[in-house]
Amino acid sequence: MHNPLESAILELVLGAELEVHNPRTLDAWLSRHRVSEEDSRAIREQGLEGLLVYRRLVRSRLRETMELAIERTINHLGPVFDEYFDRFLAERGPRTHYLRDVTGEFLDFCEPLWKADERVADYSIWLGRHEELQVEMAAMEVSADVGEAGPLELDLPLRFIAAARVVRYPYAVHELPISPGDREAPAARPTALLAYRDSKHHVHNLELTTLAASILERLLHGRITLRQAAVEACGENGIALSEAVLTGLASVLSDLAQRGVLLGAAHSR
Amino acid sequence: MVRGLVADPRLAGVGLGLRWEFLDEVLAGPEPGVPFFEVSPENYMRRGGYYRAALETLLERCPIITHGLTLSLGAEEPPDSGYLEMLRVETQWLHSPWHSDHLCFTAAGGRVLHELLPLKFSRENVLRIADRVRAAEDFLGLPMAVENITFYAHPGRREMTEAEFITAIAERSGCALLLDVNNVYVNAQNHGFDAREMLEQLPLERVVQVHVAGHTRSPEGFIIDTHGAAVPDAVLELLRFTLERTGPLPVVLERDHDIPALAELLKEVAKLESAYTESVARWQERRAQSA
Repeated sequence: MHNPLESAILELVLGAELEVHNPRTLDAWLSRHRVSEEDSRAIREQGLEGLLVYRRLVRSRLRETMELAIERTINHLGPVFDEYFDRFLAERGPRTHYLRDVTGEFLDFCEPLWKADERVADYSIWLGRHEELQVEMAAMEVSADVGEAGPLELDLPLRFIAAARVVRYPYAVHELPISPGDREAPAARPTALLAYRDSKHHVHNLELTTLAASILERLLHGRITLRQAAVEACGENGIALSEAVLTGLASVLSDLAQRGVLLGAAHSR
Repeated sequence: MVRGLVADPRLAGVGLGLRWEFLDEVLAGPEPGVPFFEVSPENYMRRGGYYRAALETLLERCPIITHGLTLSLGAEEPPDSGYLEMLRVETQWLHSPWHSDHLCFTAAGGRVLHELLPLKFSRENVLRIADRVRAAEDFLGLPMAVENITFYAHPGRREMTEAEFITAIAERSGCALLLDVNNVYVNAQNHGFDAREMLEQLPLERVVQVHVAGHTRSPEGFIIDTHGAAVPDAVLELLRFTLERTGPLPVVLERDHDIPALAELLKEVAKLESAYTESVARWQERRAQSA
């Protein structure tokens, strides 16, 4: 489905800036979108100033949305952000009906490009993901019905609140100062976090050991038992399932229960 | 009858477009401060957490009308079915008496622009949009009201006036109108026509809700519908002019930028409410005289 006027406006708003005062550029733009002769004439007579207001409105709204979500990442990137913001709009553009999800779409677009761009620090994508995670966790839709939970048993899966997720980064981006003006680089250290939203709707990020992250990743899926999760995670990390590991695991689970993240063992109804 | 949609007696007077900047203040007060609120469902759909919970609390205290932003009624592409499904769930949950969205396109080529882009006032668009409105009503199981937008340029050659365009869509689809008097004022100023004349050309009997807001002037010299200032006297006059002809309807004050504290907004609501009461009294007088 091609609508010439829609298509032309879309390029004007999201695409590279046109030399609108150059008649040849204007003609090429109208022709590229197969705008009819009579509509083209009306647009030429009217001038593009009015349509260009939409370029400013669309871009400022999207930019403000990203500044709210990933302010520190934008500051770390400096002018390079503007370049990628323009590329995102021109080459992909927002696809979501929900403004809060546009930043995630932007980061998905940028991730492979930033890896190949030596001007962009390696940690930038992870800082962006971490900032965006805070927005995502705060707004995560959860079902009120998480099922019944009982006392913990090794041979049962566990039930957690729905707004909980394990994330892994190669940098300790969560340790960076919150101040948006700070451009300190994070430590290059494999990092695992449990991000969760508490009953008062506040988002928290708990740093986990590699083993705890492996176990929780499995348990959060809710399909395997506590014992299976511990065995598999120890195997994955080359660690013997010792008394010390079990004691540490009990301590982590107890802490999560106190925080209201762990609800108990999953019992069938 | 379209006007019969305004059956809930609580949907009268001046309400507020709900914004997160003053949501906490609304919830903290003993009363919501206005008879009803209007919300943009896109801000709450597929969402949990604080704002969702706050909306649930508010819903227990007063009626809520939904006013969408991204249905993209005027686009060549049909609305996204996933979005429509979520919208149906949301409007049902909120018990909205109707759902409104704008006469514009917000999505094209798979992109969602999050802005209200202008449509050509053409017969082809009238036919497509009227079909879209009816299809949306069928899908949502809810009456639709379409809102006139501000436009800073008309794309292409006009085949009719804005008033004719809006009227044709409303009459062909049978839908209701959400009349934004600030948008009428802004368009009249930017494009040089008489706002009152345009209002008189519209099928005011189809109006079920009115929007008022303030605006600002852009560097390009256009008046922009920013919702970033108090309602100016000229727009207040258009509100009076409208209500004297329509009678009582829910009026929503929209504010999206430079949002003051709730107390300040409620002072503005009180000023609008006073104009509302006077205008409805005049409407009653006119009705009595013509009877």
